[in-house]
Amino acid sequence: MEKKGFEPKIIAFLCNWCSYGGADLAGVSRLQYPPNVRIVRVMCSGRVDPTFVFKALSDGADGVMVAG
Amino acid sequence: MSKLKLASYWGSACGGCDVAILDIHEKIVDLANAADIVFWPIAVDFKYSDLEAYEDGYIDVCLFHGAVRNSENEHIAKLLRQKSKVMVAFGACAITGGIPGLANFKKKEDIFARAYFDTPSTQNKGKVLPTTVLQMPEGEIDIPEFYKDVKCLADVIDVEFYMPGCPPTSEQIWNVVLAIVTGQLPPVGSFVGCEDRALCNTCGRTKTDKKVKKFYRPHEILVDPDSCLLEQGLVCMGPVTRAGCGNQCTGANTPCSGCYGPLSGVVDVGAKFIGALASVVDTDSPEEADKIISDVLDPAGTFYRYALPGSLLRRAK
Repeated sequence: MEKKGFEPKIIAFLCNWCSYGGADLAGVSRLQYPPNVRIVRVMCSGRVDPTFVFKALSDGADGVMVAG
Repeated sequence: MSKLKLASYWGSACGGCDVAILDIHEKIVDLANAADIVFWPIAVDFKYSDLEAYEDGYIDVCLFHGAVRNSENEHIAKLLRQKSKVMVAFGACAITGGIPGLANFKKKEDIFARAYFDTPSTQNKGKVLPTTVLQMPEGEIDIPEFYKDVKCLADVIDVEFYMPGCPPTSEQIWNVVLAIVTGQLPPVGSFVGCEDRALCNTCGRTKTDKKVKKFYRPHEILVDPDSCLLEQGLVCMGPVTRAGCGNQCTGANTPCSGCYGPLSGVVDVGAKFIGALASVVDTDSPEEADKIISDVLDPAGTFYRYALPGSLLRRAK
């Protein structure tokens, strides 16, 4: 197997009404972006509990993004 | 019916849980009437060999306090598990690691360096560190192995009940003893001697929606005895801490330090408290929020005071 460089895993908590809409629009518009980001849709970024961030990092995520 | 057989043991603990049991005062006589104490190192003269000689399941209820810091703690925990029908993780240390669990902020090497080399009162020219086996002219000495981190009791054995507190209050201990003696224990896995709701529910202080511009330490302000401590800018763990202690600290104008531990379903008490604390910060600017939060002294040690090994952070890596 070919040796690859570091590929971070990023968990993104996206608000249904804005940032998730943006990500959805990126898909509809067929914009290409790296697959490192794993999106978790939340109904509001206010729903994101610090526990989610800790849990993501302790389960192996390299970065966490909260957008909304 | 033969008398109930009780055991109590301390792992990595301060002995405060034992004192809390003795604080049931003259009721200890009633306890002795209802149950035989068959192992309790701090109060009754039984040896490990007596414990080993008991048949499996001989002890009805074992109250285990203290965390698992070394191989002796783990060995006795496993031995007691084998000899006991019901195991109770008694006190904050046994449930989530407690105060000894704060050692998990440091690695074993750091702890040894501090304890055996760096403290001003230590003279250790030969840089001697404890080893588990030591040859002496008189024979071989065994010393328990100091683990790389502090564990909770449930990390090493199965536990039936959890009784929180640092220490559990004597009233609650007596209630639980009564429940044990009368056989009215809740389903396995339950928390006993406490309530399944936050301390704020039992706090008589007036809560408004007041937010704070600054956090204080208790000696820095005159505490109003009637209003919410968190809203006065004191770092009170009440919102994320189990009720059942009788509000001893908040009743004495002292913020809750969280000794009754996180509520059911909470995987990381510190993360929950960050959420609670953020909700009372009075600002819209990230810079000012940073400044306000930076007033909190030793956030990690404060938020995880009793629960580091039982949290997601767990230990220094």
